[in-house]
Amino acid sequence: MRLEMGNFHVKDIVFGDTLSYSNGVLTVNKEELLNYVKEEEPGIITADLRIVRPGDKVRLCPVKEAIEMRCKVSGKSTGIFPGVTSPMAQAGDGRTHALKGCSLIVVGEHMGGFQDGVIDMAGKYQDNTIFGDMVNLVFVADTNEDFERFEQQKKNKALRWGGMKLAEYIGQCVKDLEPEDMEVFDLPPVTERSAEVNALPGVVYVLQPQTQMETMGYNTLIYGWDGNHMLPTFMHPNELLDGCMVSGSFMPTSSKISTYEFAVNPMVKKLMEQHGKTINFLGVIMSTLNVKMNEKDRCAKMLALMASNLGAVGAVVAEEGYGNPDVDYTAALVELEKIGIKTVGISDEATGRDGGSQPLVSMNPMTDALVSTGNVSQLYELEPMEVIGELEALARDGNSGGWEGSIHEDGSVTMENNGMFCCNHISGFSKKTCADF
Amino acid sequence: MGKEIERAGFPVVVMCNLIDVAKTVGSNRMVQTVSVPYPLGDPDMSPEDDWALRKHRVEVALNSLATEVDEPTVFPTKI
Amino acid sequence: MTKKAIHYINQFFGQVGGEEAADSKPIFHSELVGCSNMLNQMMPDVEVTHTIVCGDNYVTNHTDVALEEILGWLEKQEFDLFFAGPAFMAGRYGVGCGLVCKAVKERFDVPVITSMNEENPGVEQFKTEAYVFQGGRKATFMKDDMEKMAAFAQKIVKGEDLKPAAEEGYFPRGVRFEIPHPEGTMAADRVIDMLVKKLNGEKFLSELVIPKMDKIPPAPAVKDLSKMKIALVSSSGVVPVENPDRIQSASATKWGKYDISKLDKLPQGVFKTIHAGFDPAAMCAVPDRGIPVDAMRFWEKEGKFGKLHDYFYVTVGTGTTQAYAAKFGREIAADLKEAGVDAVVLTST
Repeated sequence: MRLEMGNFHVKDIVFGDTLSYSNGVLTVNKEELLNYVKEEEPGIITADLRIVRPGDKVRLCPVKEAIEMRCKVSGKSTGIFPGVTSPMAQAGDGRTHALKGCSLIVVGEHMGGFQDGVIDMAGKYQDNTIFGDMVNLVFVADTNEDFERFEQQKKNKALRWGGMKLAEYIGQCVKDLEPEDMEVFDLPPVTERSAEVNALPGVVYVLQPQTQMETMGYNTLIYGWDGNHMLPTFMHPNELLDGCMVSGSFMPTSSKISTYEFAVNPMVKKLMEQHGKTINFLGVIMSTLNVKMNEKDRCAKMLALMASNLGAVGAVVAEEGYGNPDVDYTAALVELEKIGIKTVGISDEATGRDGGSQPLVSMNPMTDALVSTGNVSQLYELEPMEVIGELEALARDGNSGGWEGSIHEDGSVTMENNGMFCCNHISGFSKKTCADF
Repeated sequence: MGKEIERAGFPVVVMCNLIDVAKTVGSNRMVQTVSVPYPLGDPDMSPEDDWALRKHRVEVALNSLATEVDEPTVFPTKI
Repeated sequence: MTKKAIHYINQFFGQVGGEEAADSKPIFHSELVGCSNMLNQMMPDVEVTHTIVCGDNYVTNHTDVALEEILGWLEKQEFDLFFAGPAFMAGRYGVGCGLVCKAVKERFDVPVITSMNEENPGVEQFKTEAYVFQGGRKATFMKDDMEKMAAFAQKIVKGEDLKPAAEEGYFPRGVRFEIPHPEGTMAADRVIDMLVKKLNGEKFLSELVIPKMDKIPPAPAVKDLSKMKIALVSSSGVVPVENPDRIQSASATKWGKYDISKLDKLPQGVFKTIHAGFDPAAMCAVPDRGIPVDAMRFWEKEGKFGKLHDYFYVTVGTGTTQAYAAKFGREIAADLKEAGVDAVVLTST
């Protein structure tokens, strides 16, 4: 399957009369976009758009989602999120155009929740998220979803869907333009590879997206299907790169993978890059994270056998979450190792406020190659900044990284890593690790 | 927590979902529960079955307290 | 501003004598003795004000008395840092340094710094209690070992960022924290590097090494279940709906104790779970799914066991540090002992 990703490298975003892209500048018409999104998502009652750039002393809170602005030019799918905002169709072939180096960020105007986060565009924590280092169009809005207004766990449906629709609407402005550069992802079927490639060690990427919520509407979606209802499934990496996954609204945000990262997944890209050089990249095993022990066990055993049936001798396992999901993570690694598949795990840790807690809830010495992307318990001291959204949401609405007293009078903040938006970048973007002290 | 209570001399049976975890934190008597959000019960079951499950697993736990163990032991449940 | 430090050494380095003086009691010198002088000269911003000299046998065989004497004297001193050793391979000296460092840390909460060779038994015993620097095998390493301790103390008093244990040169204290990746390498690249090395049978370094866990021997079984008083303890976060003790829904620092003497079950709407780690709906609907009071009452009435303790004990498991969990365990155990409880059913999530 061949996917062409036509890139447009955005240097700046500005407001103007006409939605357009030219010479690295994306121009958006605020009124047009707000009218569009309110019409598409009638649940949105008030909304605004802002532009933030790296170095701006601005704090975004509560951040719900980040999305790459794209459009589908050709291929089976007509939209960038098939099965979600456009009819179900296979993602991963034809051509997609993307506005690179920027994102659309969705922020709650007032209310936050357990799963929302903070992004700082300047200061000590600017580099903690990749979004601090890119120019962002910020969609900040409030909705009429009163049933969950004061709930700690929020589906954030109108805002998330509004964000996706905006991202695609804006992405349309480069549909007919010539991309500045093109990435081609062309991975043939497993049985149709050259002798040289087949001689290389076969590797699978096992992704465990967050799917633990048993009530529908919160979990990661795969073609719009709630991942909680899945068994491990074999997929082509292009499907991920072309928008088959939509981030959920559950789990402390620092351990989450945003929709932006599911589609710009650096782990998938690196594996593709190594394909034919050091490895034979067989594909993606999409697994799950579950709450019941027998479900964890079933998925771990099935994914290991699937890897084995594909002839894999190596596997990368990524866990979107921490705590209870560590059990699924360690189980997957152990089941793979047991049948002789060499694994590397990528996940974050939770070592507690004093640093002395067991870093993963479930540990097994067979997992001897782990990459650590951060520590959810790490305390962060944030300097005061102008806020887009409502900072109080961090302390008031049950955010996983905030608490009563998190916000100080001068606007400075004490919080846990837990609440910084997708900052442990399990997708592979993280430039952090953990160490013994 | 259970480890410190056991260290103080009380036999402790840990009823939990993550048996692997219980083992790593030094639990000696363990009974498997259904899941994290509902350890002893299941909202998908009828109220009768939910109660039967809870009654049964608690009975297994009580029996384990009267059973000598030499090493971390998981006591099997039927429902 | 210069900070003050006090230095602990043994009878040999304190010039009292060798093995024959190993029983000597603590001596407190306001004029620095032996290697304390060298240590003092290594630190521009720290002044070593006193040397404590004590016999290795005395501190290891009469620990309580020795520590009482040392801590009692320290109460009257002003100091910001505490040093002990270096103890090299000397086992009793290492343990002595560890004992004193641990006690000083607990009482005064100042940084405590010592140094031992990896084969010194004091390392295993005290590496989580103090900064134990990796030292040489014998006293010829005195200068090298003290330089490491001194350089680290300088960093502390100047408020510089402290680097991971391996970089600073002390034995890991059993705590882990987040750091920027030393080379600034993206995690995806680190995964590829590790994977290719592992596939090729080359050496690689895991970023998280899975340690082995300590075990405690199982408590003996109860003799006659039908006479036993059993208590329910739980980390499920099930509390009275108004959460009277304001137990936190994650990273709990408290536990609660609630009266169930008049209850045959935990009614919906009277109890709920405040646990933030999962969808609370199923447990709020039937709180007994978290703490099975109904089933315990049933088996109590059946005569399977003697009596259900009148209270259950509860906290929230998620994000709670091991230190707190252990503290809750000790506190609850003390309460159970007083109440004459015989055994415990602990439900966790």
